[in-house]
Amino acid sequence: MEIGAQRRNSRLIKLTLGIATFWASIPFLWLLRDIGRMIFAPIIFYDNGVFFTWLKNTSIFVFSAMGISVISCITAGFVMAVLDVPFRRVLLFFTLLTMLIPITAMAMPLYVMIDRIGLNNNLLGLILASSYFPFGAFLSYLYYSSVLPPDLVGMGRIDGLGDLGIYRHLGIPLSKSLISVVSFFSFVGLWNSYQLPRVLLAEPSKSIMSIGIEVFYGQGTTLIALMMVIPSVLLYLASQRTIARGIFSGAVKE
Amino acid sequence: MKLRRKSRLVPTLMIAPYLFFMFFCGIFPIYYGFLEVRNPSWINMEGGYETFLKILDDFRVGPALVNILFLLAIFVPLMIVTVLAISLLLDSVDFKYNNGTRLLFLLPGLLPTAVAVLFWSAVVGYDVVWDHSNIRWLIGAISFSTGIGSWIVIQYGSLRSISHEVLEAGIVDGCNRFQLAWRLKLPMIGRYVAYMIILLIVGAMQIFNEPNLLMYTNMTTDWSPSQIAFSYAFKNADFAGGVALSLIMLIPNVILALLFVWNTDFMKKSKGRWK
Repeated sequence: MEIGAQRRNSRLIKLTLGIATFWASIPFLWLLRDIGRMIFAPIIFYDNGVFFTWLKNTSIFVFSAMGISVISCITAGFVMAVLDVPFRRVLLFFTLLTMLIPITAMAMPLYVMIDRIGLNNNLLGLILASSYFPFGAFLSYLYYSSVLPPDLVGMGRIDGLGDLGIYRHLGIPLSKSLISVVSFFSFVGLWNSYQLPRVLLAEPSKSIMSIGIEVFYGQGTTLIALMMVIPSVLLYLASQRTIARGIFSGAVKE
Repeated sequence: MKLRRKSRLVPTLMIAPYLFFMFFCGIFPIYYGFLEVRNPSWINMEGGYETFLKILDDFRVGPALVNILFLLAIFVPLMIVTVLAISLLLDSVDFKYNNGTRLLFLLPGLLPTAVAVLFWSAVVGYDVVWDHSNIRWLIGAISFSTGIGSWIVIQYGSLRSISHEVLEAGIVDGCNRFQLAWRLKLPMIGRYVAYMIILLIVGAMQIFNEPNLLMYTNMTTDWSPSQIAFSYAFKNADFAGGVALSLIMLIPNVILALLFVWNTDFMKKSKGRWK
């Protein structure tokens, strides 16, 4: 009896999931339906190929900001979890606090500051404003807290490793899955960012894709949707296994 | 113990870039913001901190807050329930299409908002978009469809990392699937749920992209407080007013963040580690 009920429940859950999956796939099916109507011409020839300028600007912006944020976050997480740094708890407190305040909430004050230091309408200003990624630092902190127990670090010290040595020989070799997860979340956030570039890059020639594509309203939507979503999907597939294993696993497993 | 009595210079240098960005993006802008608010502006010709009060007299602020409350009352709870339901369901059975399902939910969230707005306008039809009474529902629906995917991925991940022994103990004690989810899994991922809830609430309060991209309908020009701040600064060249409104909107955000930090054990855990 018990087993029969279990099986029935399991079928019910799968049915519910099946319906949810179908519902979630509507946008995807919509994309497929329109695939025959995709025309590159209006996008490529728009305004003497300004599209390629946006593509270039987006690449510079996304990859610089991602590189900076991933390296600085992972190092910061490692330092907060493993090494002895002044004001460690204060740093952790501010990381947690700012993790809950989206950068968009700061868009207006940030604009004023960046304008005063003369980086308005400049990709560098946008890169600097987008490179703070407390969520990544916190994930790295949780991760290193769980994979690098104090005993292991102590053994490294006995072997004569300094702070940098511990990072090089223990921290970096262990960081592969961490890098993939932090990069994924950082990339998606930057690639899709709208409000901050909207405020900081007013000139069309300095613009990036996520803003520029507004001009194609009504034409070539499907094509742009497809183009914009492919990099994120690829990156997701690459980091999927780590994410599914539990990005917070360090914290939940006691 | 002697081993650790080393110079703290190297760790400080290692964390310096992160610290720089923390100050650059988190602390200096607020300082500059307060300096800016003192300047004379259209709403407060004499300048000074009264701008904070005068900005709230703007006739657009009230309706914008009502819009936010609408999202908070209907769409935020709906998102929380959907995310938890789907991730718990995915976690509870051996579903063959598990990975694919998560990707499908994530897909709309991977689209830039500009594309998502276009897309949903096309899906629901432009006559629906142009109908005044629908605009709140449309904005809510877009943020719902683009917002739940990444949370499903994250919460599913945190469910997967609950240790098997705990769940087996639950099964031995006679829990069925529902009890297992409600009594064991949910409490164990409680703080990640709390984290998600706060970010969803904050996201709704700061909403900008969706209404700003629907502006071509002429119905959402000053739909949200963030948009009003934006139009102060860039349409009226009144930065003091825009910054004042942004800083006011930051207050509930900071309060929620502080509540979270104080009431979860994220900080406590770190206490004894290097003592």
